[in-house]
Formats: sequence, C-alpha cells, structure tokens
Amino acid sequence: MLLSLPALHLQTSEHHPLFQLPHGRLGPWCSPTGSPAPLSCETGCGEGSWILVCRLLVPTQVSLLSMEEDIDTRKINNSFLRDHSYATEADIISTVEFNHTGELLATGDKGGRVVIFQREQESKNQVHRRGEYNVYSTFQSHEPEFDYLKSLEIEEKINKIRWLPQQNAAYFLLSTNDKTVKLWKVSERDKRPEGYNLKDEEGRLRDPSTITTLRVPVLRPMDLMVEATPRRVFANAHTYHINSISVNSDYETYMSADDLRINLWNFEITNQSFNIVDIKPANMEELTEVITAAEFHPHHCNTFVYSSSKGTIRLCDMRASALCDRHTKFFEEPEDPSNRSFFSEIISSISDVKFSHSGRYIMTRDYLTVKVWDLNMENRPIETYQVHDYLRSKLCSLYENDCIFDKFECVWNGSDSVIMTGSYNNFFRMFDRNTKRDVTLEASRENSKPRAILKPRKVCVGGKRRKDEISVDSLDFSKKILHTAWHPSENIIAVAATNNLYIFQDKVN
Amino acid sequence: MEFKLEAHRIVSISLGKIYNSRVQRGGIKLHKNLLVSLVLRSARQVYLSDPCPGLYLAGPAGSPGAPPQQSWEPPQQTREPQHRSRSVPLPQASRGRVARSPRPAVTGTGDTLLGGEAEAAEAAWRRVEGPHKPRVPAGGSDLFPEEPRAARRHCCCPPGAPTGAADDEPPAPPPVCPRKRSAAGAGGGPAGCPVPDSTPLKKPRRHLEEQPGGGDEEEEMETGNVANLISIFGSSFSGLLRKKSPGGGLEEEEGEESAPEAAEPGQICCDKPVLRDMSPWSTAIVAF
Repeated sequence: MLLSLPALHLQTSEHHPLFQLPHGRLGPWCSPTGSPAPLSCETGCGEGSWILVCRLLVPTQVSLLSMEEDIDTRKINNSFLRDHSYATEADIISTVEFNHTGELLATGDKGGRVVIFQREQESKNQVHRRGEYNVYSTFQSHEPEFDYLKSLEIEEKINKIRWLPQQNAAYFLLSTNDKTVKLWKVSERDKRPEGYNLKDEEGRLRDPSTITTLRVPVLRPMDLMVEATPRRVFANAHTYHINSISVNSDYETYMSADDLRINLWNFEITNQSFNIVDIKPANMEELTEVITAAEFHPHHCNTFVYSSSKGTIRLCDMRASALCDRHTKFFEEPEDPSNRSFFSEIISSISDVKFSHSGRYIMTRDYLTVKVWDLNMENRPIETYQVHDYLRSKLCSLYENDCIFDKFECVWNGSDSVIMTGSYNNFFRMFDRNTKRDVTLEASRENSKPRAILKPRKVCVGGKRRKDEISVDSLDFSKKILHTAWHPSENIIAVAATNNLYIFQDKVN
Repeated sequence: MEFKLEAHRIVSISLGKIYNSRVQRGGIKLHKNLLVSLVLRSARQVYLSDPCPGLYLAGPAGSPGAPPQQSWEPPQQTREPQHRSRSVPLPQASRGRVARSPRPAVTGTGDTLLGGEAEAAEAAWRRVEGPHKPRVPAGGSDLFPEEPRAARRHCCCPPGAPTGAADDEPPAPPPVCPRKRSAAGAGGGPAGCPVPDSTPLKKPRRHLEEQPGGGDEEEEMETGNVANLISIFGSSFSGLLRKKSPGGGLEEEEGEESAPEAAEPGQICCDKPVLRDMSPWSTAIVAF
C-alpha cells in the first residue's frame, strides 16, 4: 500500500500499489477559457479541445523496492523517476491498446511486462474522476530467452498486444515478443471459500480423526485480486521477428506476421499454425521487401491486408487459396520522382496499417505521411496527410541517428472521422478527415497540468519563428511518440511517451 | 563532387550500421538491414554515376594477384581455372574480381588490424564473391554446380560450425561457398583457425560461414540477410575499384542481382597509391 506524499498525490489502491498520479487531479473540470465542447465521437479534433486526464508512470524496480522506505527517501526516488532520462530502458512502453469496450487499456514495455489499466467507474460523489485509468493488473508476459542454436538473444520486448472480445467475466489478450505469442487470461477473484473441513483457518491439514462435524464451505468476500495466467503459448513458428498480430472477426483464429511470413493460428491449438503468406525468396539475395504490418478485416473473416517495406499494401482473401501469396488487391501509389533521394525507399516503408472501423478504408503510416486508402481504389490513396514534412530535408541526419527507422503507428477514432499518429519532441498529430483540419499536441509533463487544455503546437519551418513555435532544429528526436491508442467509442486517447502514458480526453462542458 | 562525398559518407555510415547490427541484442533485424542495404545501393549508384576522377584503381583489371594474396590464394587455386574460363566471355565481369583485392590489402596491413576483424572482413569479402557466382550467364553456369558442391563436401569448415545442414543445401547457392569455407579455414590460419568460441566477432562470422547464399533449408535469416548485404557491399567496392574500366557502368544495377563475377582471381588493386586513396573505404571494410 502506498503512503501519501506531501508533494504528490498517491492513491491507495487495492489492486496495485505501483501507481502515481500528478498532483491536483481532483481539481475541477472546467477549463480556463470556459467554452464547452461536446464530448462525442462525431466531434472532430478541430472543434474539441483536449485535456490531460492523467499521466501514468510505469514504475521501475527502484520504486518497488522503495515502497517501505520513509517519506524523504520516497520523495527522492519519485523525483528520480520524474526525469525520464533516468528511467531504465525496460520501462519504455512499446505498445498500447484499448480493449473493445474501452474499459481496459493495456500497455507492454521493453522489459516484457504488461500493465493493464482500468477505467474508473462513474460514481456520484466523485464524478470528476470518471475517465481516469488506474492500474488493474501487472504481469511479466515474456522473459528474455536465448536461442542456443543460433546464438541469439530473443528480446522480451512486447511488440504488440491485442485484446479478444469479452465473452465471459474474464479478459483475454494476446501479447507477443519477437518470437512467441501468448494468450493471457486476466480474471478477478473477490471471493474465497472458507470453512474447509480438512483444512483449518491457516490452511494446515487437520487430522481427520479430530473432525466431529461437517460443514459446507461458503464463499466469503475478500479483497479484490486480479490474476493473470498464461493460457496458451504459441511458440516456434517464426524464424523472423514478429511485427504484428491480429485477431480475426470469427474470434477463433488470429494471425501473426513476421518479416517474411504470416501464420494463421487457432486459439485452441498451439502446436500447429498455417502459413498463409510466404514472401521469402528462394534465394535470399533476391530479397527486396519484407512484411511490415498485417491486419484482419474487422468484419470479413476471410480478408486481411499486409503492408510491405516498399510502400505497398496487399489485400488477400483466404478463400482464394491456402497460401495467399497472390494478392486479391494491390495498393500502391506511384512514387513522385521529384522527391527521390537516397532515402526514398526507407521513408516509403510502411510502418503501420489499420483498417477503419467500418472496414471500408485502410490507413497506412510511412515515415513522413499518413495515407487513407479506399479498398475499392488501388492506384492511389484517397487522402494523404503530411505528419512532419519539415523532416524531409533532414533525412540524412535522421538516418545517421537511426531515427529514420522509427516505426510510428496510427489510429482511427471510433467513428473513423479523425486519425492520429505520433511524431518527435513528444508531439502527436490529429487529422480530421471531414474538416481537413489538423492539430499538433504535445505530451509532456512540463506543459500539461492535469485538466489543463492542451495547447496546439506548431513547428516553424524556416524564417522568422513566432513566439510559441518550435524550430525544427530544437526538436528533441529522442522523445518520440510511436504508440497511441484511441478509445473505441469515446474521445479518450492514450499516448505513450517513452515510459510515460498520457491519457487525454476531449473536454466536456 | 559533393554528391560523391555525400554518397561516400552515407556508405560509411551504412557500413557502420551493418556492423553494429551484428552485435546488437535480439539478433539482426532483417527489415532495418534491408533498408540500409538499399541506401547503400543508392549511394553506390550515385557514387558511380558522378563523373569525378580520383580514388580509383590505376592498373588494368587484369593484373595478377599481389603477394599479399598468396596467404589465402591456395584454396582458391582450384577455382581459378574455372574462373578464367568463365571470364573470357565476360571481360567486364572479370573486373568485379578486383573486389577481392582489398582483402589482402586488409590482411596485408594486418598489423594494424585486429586479427578477428581481419577474419571477419575476409569472411565478409568471400561472401561477396559467393552471391555473384550464380549469375554468370549460361556459359559459365554449367561449370558451377558440380565442383563447388564437391568442394563443399570436403572443405574444412570451422570446427563446431553447424555445417550439417550445409550438405543438404541445393546447388543453387553460390558455389563460392566452399572456397569461402576453405579460405576461411586458411585465411583463419594466420590468426588461428576460427574456432566458434564465444567472442562476438567469431559468432557473427560463424553465421556468415554457415549460411551460403540464403540457406533456404536452414532458415538462417540473419546470415542470409548479411549475405545479401555483403553482395551489395562487395559489388559496391568492386564497382568503385574498376571505375576506370569502360564496363564500370555495367556493374550490377541491382545490388542483389549482381553481375557475373567470374573474373580471374587474384585481381588486385592493392597498390599503395590506391590503398592511400582508398583508406576511407578500407577503414570501412575493417569496420565491417
């Protein structure tokens, strides 16, 4: 259990002691400007304003040990944690995903841990706290492994988490590292049986000869305990690094994609998987492209797409053949020859592909742009949004510091009207597809007090820099937002900035 | 000229990345290395197409092997006759052979290098030859399949290297592999036979050796990728080195689809002047 600190509000939580919230989160909702904004999926990002709901730290092992220490030491440790440069690499969040109702939010980090947050229930006396997420469960999903045959270490970093739709009281999610996919069951236990005959209260076995009466054990309430158990382990099916997993709409199968192959699994069967895409050339020297992301269609269980490092997307129908090497549709935009450079191939590599909720569109993210494609038109995207085109002249430096290889993700909002993706300097961008307006926001603790409205940011490209603008050269490329998630039905977003998880909400009047 | 410098710089950076990727945690990432190899190729093309003198081989492509090469020449002797015969219809291809020269240059100046790095560089270079081999057009290809396979059978691979699978590999993979292995054995001589011990350099090297040309059966993704990279890497160097030759432009456009490389062995350009000019490149090789 946590003790409260004078400088920092710490919530006592029965679920999990590792939890911090910024100070003052119980403050009033209203914004300084006072102008209301509707809270609804249909609102574009232009009309609404975003406020910080909470910032959650994935705690390091240091803080775990410091739980019992006195306040002064804890203060030191907390300030230790505040500066993200001290955060260990294992705490860097590597994936964020809401479940299908938005009640739970799962994060995976480089240390192989999964932390699940649960939305606080609405209650009359603390109406302001609705919309905040508290730690629900933490477990170690993957451990570092060593492949002795190839003398390779297998990283424990969680590459992707995907939730299964809820079918009973327990929650199920898939988490994967480079080589192994695991199905985890997260369940609550709030009752325990008491009144055993053969065991006494402490659990010691009783001598049967001393038992004179029998009783029926009864279930009595206990402190809520959330436990996570691995139910399935899907291993040894991928030679290359797994980059995506996607649950099929039939809820019976899912696929896992690595650089060259995509496998189809049944949730019940762990010792077999079907290979449905294989782009490995007979001669590896002829390798020209790899698979970078894959996803099932949200409604058609036979359809999936996968993106390649060449900037192309292939849509495949599993009814056509067992091995879907021949695509049904092929989406590619002809390259603009005027933009050709050394790095054209790198920046055209697609880092993420997502179906819209409607299933009509797909969105792809390459290094500088986000594109929306209509499934019915293969020769070019219907919309292209520049995320940070000012980096186009800096590609060589970004190549040197490896930033050009960063894999940004992109997300749709619940109504497919707004798309969001991350950038550098802890900036993230939202594009309203209807109004064509866009906004740049920053996820940083310096600039965000809880409940304060996020101020739109602007990057100044050249010439005179205005007061609030940031010049391209002062962008911090070590602060990148690769992973974001959008609540399936409400305007709540989760933004992962290194080891911090920011939750923002569209302001409500 | 500035394009050339820029391309040069980019190639150096790319080589550094490839080198670092071999020791990073989690294994070589295929995607990133593929992208780096594409950049390498683009930079190389720019480098070649920029008409600017300097940094290139002075002597003709057909000059015989230099003394430093003798150390690892013997294992390749068996290959030479075939190479020569094949090189006849493909004069340009022969120039590709000069790619080998930096290796002896590297080992020749071995006192300045770490032994392990030299071996790795050598192994890397041998890989260069490998992928090119199968591309020799019809005339040469018939000669390939048998000998190399036979050679592979009796080549001495470093002890402990998982070579069992190698025997099962199809002939399609570069027949140079056996020469590579034996050369690896011989080249490793000066520095000791490359025992697969636990040093980081040795491990990636073992990967290189056990992965002749893609190893479809073996699923050695890291090494297949590296072979791919090295083929580009090597072709880039060979292209640069034979820049003066009129066939320079014919050097493979696609790094992966390398031009026939059945040139005479022992092509060198390790003359001192070239070495001096080449120093940034050789530095890069060493780094690799």
